[in-house]
Amino acid sequence: MANETERLLLVGDNPFHGISHLSQERARARNEQISFTEFAANLVVSSIEHGANGFMFSVSETTLATLQTVQKRLGNKPLALYAIVPYAYEYVRLATQLGPVGLAKKLGQKIVLTGNLQAIFNGLKGVIRMDPEALMKTYLFYELSRIKSSAGKHMNIASVMLHEVVTDMLLALNADWLIKSFIDFLSERKMKPGFETRNFVYLVSKFKEWDIDFSKIVIAAPFNKVGFQMVPSKEECEKALAEVPESTTIAFSILAAGYLELQEASDYVQTLSNLKGVAVGVSKEHHARETFAILEKRLNGSKAS
Amino acid sequence: MDSLRVAVVGLGKMGLLHASILKMIPNVEVVALCDKSSLLLKFVKKVFRGSQTVKDVEELSDFDIDCAYVTTPIPAHYPVISSLHSNKVTSNLFVEKTLADSWDKARELTELAETCGGINMVGYMKRFAVTFQQAKNLLNQEIIGAVSSFDACAYSSDFADIKKGSKRSGSRGGVLSDLSSHVIDLALFFFGDFEVSSAKVESMGEGGCEDAAHFTVKKLGLGGQFDVSWCMDNYRMPHFGLEIRGAKGTISVDDDKVELMLDGESKKWYRHDLDDSVNFMLGIPEFYREDKHFVNSVLSGKITDLPFLTASKVDYIIDQVQKKAM
Repeated sequence: MANETERLLLVGDNPFHGISHLSQERARARNEQISFTEFAANLVVSSIEHGANGFMFSVSETTLATLQTVQKRLGNKPLALYAIVPYAYEYVRLATQLGPVGLAKKLGQKIVLTGNLQAIFNGLKGVIRMDPEALMKTYLFYELSRIKSSAGKHMNIASVMLHEVVTDMLLALNADWLIKSFIDFLSERKMKPGFETRNFVYLVSKFKEWDIDFSKIVIAAPFNKVGFQMVPSKEECEKALAEVPESTTIAFSILAAGYLELQEASDYVQTLSNLKGVAVGVSKEHHARETFAILEKRLNGSKAS
Repeated sequence: MDSLRVAVVGLGKMGLLHASILKMIPNVEVVALCDKSSLLLKFVKKVFRGSQTVKDVEELSDFDIDCAYVTTPIPAHYPVISSLHSNKVTSNLFVEKTLADSWDKARELTELAETCGGINMVGYMKRFAVTFQQAKNLLNQEIIGAVSSFDACAYSSDFADIKKGSKRSGSRGGVLSDLSSHVIDLALFFFGDFEVSSAKVESMGEGGCEDAAHFTVKKLGLGGQFDVSWCMDNYRMPHFGLEIRGAKGTISVDDDKVELMLDGESKKWYRHDLDDSVNFMLGIPEFYREDKHFVNSVLSGKITDLPFLTASKVDYIIDQVQKKAM
């Protein structure tokens, strides 16, 4: 795990979701799923062996299965987890097919099946009153129980982060009360609340207005040399970052979706002292080795090459 | 007009997305949200503080609305738009694609819009992607000479795992109106009107749902073919692309890049090289851009780039594909 002065080097799961791994026949599908989980776990383990000190992932069946395999491989070696909820792709797909109410019913059924009485009680209260806070807490109970059951005791859930679509929608809605409720829920459970966003500048300005303590949260946002997806501009994102040294800000898209070479990408990250870490996805074993060896060397000053 | 009072009708994922983006556009107030589901309205009222909620479109006439977003499922577009007009709620309308669930209804809505006036637009947001805009600029400059042919595709893995006999994909209406309408609109944007020559539509599940289609089109001196499917492997994110062949070269374009091949040399532009910035990003930049375009058009009283008349041509092509495939 990273110490206070080390930058967080997180292996991300995005490439895992872009790989087709289902076939028509059930038995074959199961075999392919197993081999995919093994493959993804290999990438995570290899990244960790070469310098990564954490895993950032969207909570899905695929990543939870990967997590279980990683845990078996790592044994008692500690690993920091940065879990993003909800897994937007799957929920958007279901919402499109079932509608928002149908999606809520399906999720409700899953929560009941977990047998988590606290979650069920909160969920019932939430449904009766259509109370967003109670519904959010129920959902978080459900996701936390899934993560905990897949992560071993040596894995530390460093942060549970809201997916960018949810964070950015709550920002647009000026929903400080819901964001504060999310922060309180996780802080009470000794986990750092996190926010993935594509609107870093706006988030910083709203969180300041709402008196949110930046030292107690994690923020993940795009930062890269070419300003790709840095909203509204690279310069303004850098300026906002300079204003929040106490925040655990983690950069993603440092390679600008493959547009930049790792060397130039890490050179840029080095210029931003308030960045506490980076999250980078890898899709091949040699990428995992090279990427984290270079990041470890350039961002944390290791002599390893 | 200095500011806009907006209503959003239909609170599925697109309705919630547009309502959220609209709250970030200066001089716009989301005053009313409308949906048939009481449960959903109860929830939304607590999250969208400051906006009123109503169950029926007719109730919106009490709110002095300047413009409305129609983001219901496609079959409801026709009755909702008709009702917005007949109840004199507003004639300034943004409608998610496609305009209607049939060419006949799309034509009627276009005529109704012409009679009632107002500013209108259909949400073919791919036109607001910087790569497709760059391709259009290159075509306007006639860099590749006269265009002779093109291949267009639209793929997703949304139903890649659909089983024989399943009716699951039917919930989305069909791949023609859902996925392929975007790439049909892009082809109309690039080449102007064309006619369908031949078409084949496939159903992977049961109930005759359109899951994949292949069709050819033509106009004077130009032929094109479309391949669309939402049952493809490896397309977790939908993919839209066109390859355009001209007398002097080719242009390949998709969501991420544009490639120009001229005299054996290639020049590429990625999103990163084009001005892809927006003031607020929810989902992808195109959503903010299309909403800003519509809002600006209403505020200034200027016709949009995608009025009902232009967008209804997509409904016409879909109708032709369905008829030719019979």
